[in-house]
Amino acid sequence: MSWTNELSNRLRYLLRRNRFDAELEDEILFHLEARADELEAEGMTRKNALLQARREFGSQARIQEDSRSFWHFQWLEDLLSDLRYGTRALVRNKTFALAAIFSLALGTGANTSVFSFTMEFLFSDPSVTDADSLFVSRIAGRSHSPYREYKVVRDANVFAGLAGLRESEANWRNGDDTLRIHVLQVTGNYYQVTGTPLLMGRPIQPGDRDTVVISYPFWQSRLNGRADVLGRALVLDGRPFTITGVLPRVHRSLIGFGFSPDLSVPVLNEETDVQFIGRLMPGVTREQTLERLRRASEEVDRVYPRKDAEARALNVRMYGVHGLDRLTGERGGPIIAFFALLMVVVGLVLLVACANVASLALARAASRRQELSVRLAIGASRGRVIRQLLAESLLLAGLGTAAGVGMNLLLTNAVSGMALPLPFPIRIYFTPDWHLLAYSVLVAVGCALVSGVMPALAATRSDVQSGLKQDARQASGGFWNPRSLLVAGQLALTVVLLATGLLFLRNLNQATSMSPGFDVGSTVWANMRLVPERYARPELQTNTVQRALDELRALPGVEAASITQVVPLNDSSDMRAPIITDISSTEPVLRMNMNRVTPDYFRTMGIRLLDGRDFTAADRLGANKVVVINEVLARSLFGSARAVGHTLGWREPGGHTVNRFQIVGVVALSKYRSLGEEDTNALYMSYFQTDDPGSSVAFLLRSSRRPEGLLRQIDRTLGSIDSSAAIEVKPMTDALGLAFLPSRAGAALLGTMGALGLLLASLGLYGVLVYSVNRRVREIGIRMALGASPKQVLRLVFGQSLLLVAVGCSVGLGLALLATQPLTMFLVPGVHPTDVSTYLTVVGILLGVALLATAGPAVRAVKVEPTTALRYE
Amino acid sequence: MSKPDPIHGEFLPGTLSMLILRTLARGPLHGYAIAKRIKDASSEVLAIEEGSLYPALNRLLVKGWLTAEWGLSDNNRKARFYRLTEEGRRQMEQETHDFDRMVDAIRLVLKTV
Repeated sequence: MSWTNELSNRLRYLLRRNRFDAELEDEILFHLEARADELEAEGMTRKNALLQARREFGSQARIQEDSRSFWHFQWLEDLLSDLRYGTRALVRNKTFALAAIFSLALGTGANTSVFSFTMEFLFSDPSVTDADSLFVSRIAGRSHSPYREYKVVRDANVFAGLAGLRESEANWRNGDDTLRIHVLQVTGNYYQVTGTPLLMGRPIQPGDRDTVVISYPFWQSRLNGRADVLGRALVLDGRPFTITGVLPRVHRSLIGFGFSPDLSVPVLNEETDVQFIGRLMPGVTREQTLERLRRASEEVDRVYPRKDAEARALNVRMYGVHGLDRLTGERGGPIIAFFALLMVVVGLVLLVACANVASLALARAASRRQELSVRLAIGASRGRVIRQLLAESLLLAGLGTAAGVGMNLLLTNAVSGMALPLPFPIRIYFTPDWHLLAYSVLVAVGCALVSGVMPALAATRSDVQSGLKQDARQASGGFWNPRSLLVAGQLALTVVLLATGLLFLRNLNQATSMSPGFDVGSTVWANMRLVPERYARPELQTNTVQRALDELRALPGVEAASITQVVPLNDSSDMRAPIITDISSTEPVLRMNMNRVTPDYFRTMGIRLLDGRDFTAADRLGANKVVVINEVLARSLFGSARAVGHTLGWREPGGHTVNRFQIVGVVALSKYRSLGEEDTNALYMSYFQTDDPGSSVAFLLRSSRRPEGLLRQIDRTLGSIDSSAAIEVKPMTDALGLAFLPSRAGAALLGTMGALGLLLASLGLYGVLVYSVNRRVREIGIRMALGASPKQVLRLVFGQSLLLVAVGCSVGLGLALLATQPLTMFLVPGVHPTDVSTYLTVVGILLGVALLATAGPAVRAVKVEPTTALRYE
Repeated sequence: MSKPDPIHGEFLPGTLSMLILRTLARGPLHGYAIAKRIKDASSEVLAIEEGSLYPALNRLLVKGWLTAEWGLSDNNRKARFYRLTEEGRRQMEQETHDFDRMVDAIRLVLKTV
């Protein structure tokens, strides 16, 4: 191929261009001498012949340049020379370069960090081999299905291998302490099916019953990173296990979202519900597998029939274990929306930073007019000069982005693998890869274009004639030059950023001051996780918790103690069903929050009893089944009539038997799932009327003094009742951290972005004002010489500044009104995106900053001596 | 004998490279000799300017139609000799053929119109 030939010729040239130049010179020398020989033969003197030959030959440099040009990659050479020239230009004006790089570094640092976090949190691949052929499978519409059903599907030849897993907890007995740790229960084939790599040791294998694989952080922090960890015993839930393997430092579990359990143990109980993870058979498509999964669930129906329930095959689903497929499979809409919002916000911050650089570049172009005019005058095309200026922008953007990525790497490296302060183990591992690199290059090029094109066009538009004159200063345009427009645009964007940030700050404020409907300040939450195997018979557990309650109540300072199955705002349980009552033939379908509580729960939590009675010790198994409902549910079912005394009930899943309860009390509304909810139905059953209370027992205590002083005593009391139980005691205020997490995270992130935008925009505003005052020093001098008072000059300078702010703000307010509309989904009730006070605050902040930024230039303007100003160069 | 005025500067586009290729078809030559040979062969009508000769030679080198090597000239000076490559020969034939067709066509137009 001729073009490949040509390419290799050119590449060869690149390697030996010095020799090429020397050869061309020799060749021309030969030419000149050959011609001189000829002329000499015609009778000229040698000296004249050489001179004549040279004259005929013409410009040697021109010929050399033309000859060389065929070998060049012209654009590359141009770019390199432009970059060289640009570097010199930047070095000459260090202040400009540093200010621009600083602005861009802040913008790109924030931008790429959010990008890294988004990629790791939402899109990182789990640590398995060939994640593309692994699928989460659900039958009967359940995320987890019983182990025995798992076995049927596993043996039905649907997948090349089907593993099961379940997130749960265990009590780890370490010396005298019992700690609650997070475990992943896995089927024996889990490691084999997923191909999860290990740092050392061997994985859990089929048939194993007492082996564990521990995580790297658990090994390092809990077992002190001891080298002889393999083979060591761990006592979990009272049973001895042997450590056979350790996971690598960077391990991303199949659960995703950074979930990192402390260790994995084999599934030991046939009753355990597990999630299915299957590996596609080679050569079998996803659709075919889904069809096979349907047939397998029909098989499950045959083996374990469910009376009056719909076929399991009717609700069968498969989705991938990574990427967008998993996110949509897990219905991660709101999470994606939040990250999208973050990306938009940091995009705006970057835009503000680019506008800063653009306005700096415009100012610089004005002072470089002479240089540019000279270049244009001696024949450089406008395109060539624009390319030159763009190369400088590219250089700036490249350096700024590099600094930003440096900040990103420092930040992500610092938080990589750190356990986030949450009640469940979340660790995000950052491993910078080509995604970040590609994104950074994209960001740099984008910044170069956004910040460079407009100034380059503006700088080369001016006519050469006036540009060549020193006096270009006087030829300034009106106030509405591109720079002012840029600053107005920056201000507009900042209004949007600030409005968003402020909205989330107000949201946080509102959320923290919002009453959850129960008392928080004097409540203590003591969680006691019992080892299930020790309480095989329900009455054993009932006796133990009853004893614990009695002993807790006896503690000095404890006013009331109770047990709840669901700790509000930390956990939730709800049901949606047609509700049957004894007064109406209609069965309204209602969603209700469900909970099981002991007597005294309402007193402990400070939830008012509006009617009827609290649960009593008599509401136990075997007794008449009773419920307490909240006022909202009472209204939905009975309207204004009295609810106490009536019955309500619902059908058992799929069955015809009706679960019927007598309503004995009505309590006030409180928050159940989230602070953001409003008017939720809630129904409480008696804790002692269930035969499956669960192994985790949540005690809630109301103290008469500061709850912090009680924590140790509660811990000791519960520990003395069952030393194998894992006990955690914390004030309710701490426990509510999770409920505030979305508001806090949103406020922190968006508030920071708003502040960053404000900082950048103030710099821009300050810069443009200083610049405009400097340009008008002479004008101001003349005005003052003609009798203008300092007051009038101040009015002039402040007037300009206020005009800019006014234009920027009005555009920004319009944008912000539109942009914050979709944010309603993140806000608690009582905070509205259109809230006037938010915007008033934003405008107030910007005005304040503008006045501060104007003060310096204004004072300078007033101090101008008319005589110096007139001579001002 | 009065010499005709040489045509300086612009040839028809592409003809210079064709002339160079054709000149080299009879054997390797150095740059000065190429210019001289074209001038002589055209009875001094076509005077190639050095300003276009050397860039043109380099263009042909880049295309791979010529190769260059250093040798000694008739009067023992170090000179750069250009040689036609196989690809260059094909190119020359193609260009000559195209040129002939074009000239014929132009003649036809000049005769008939």
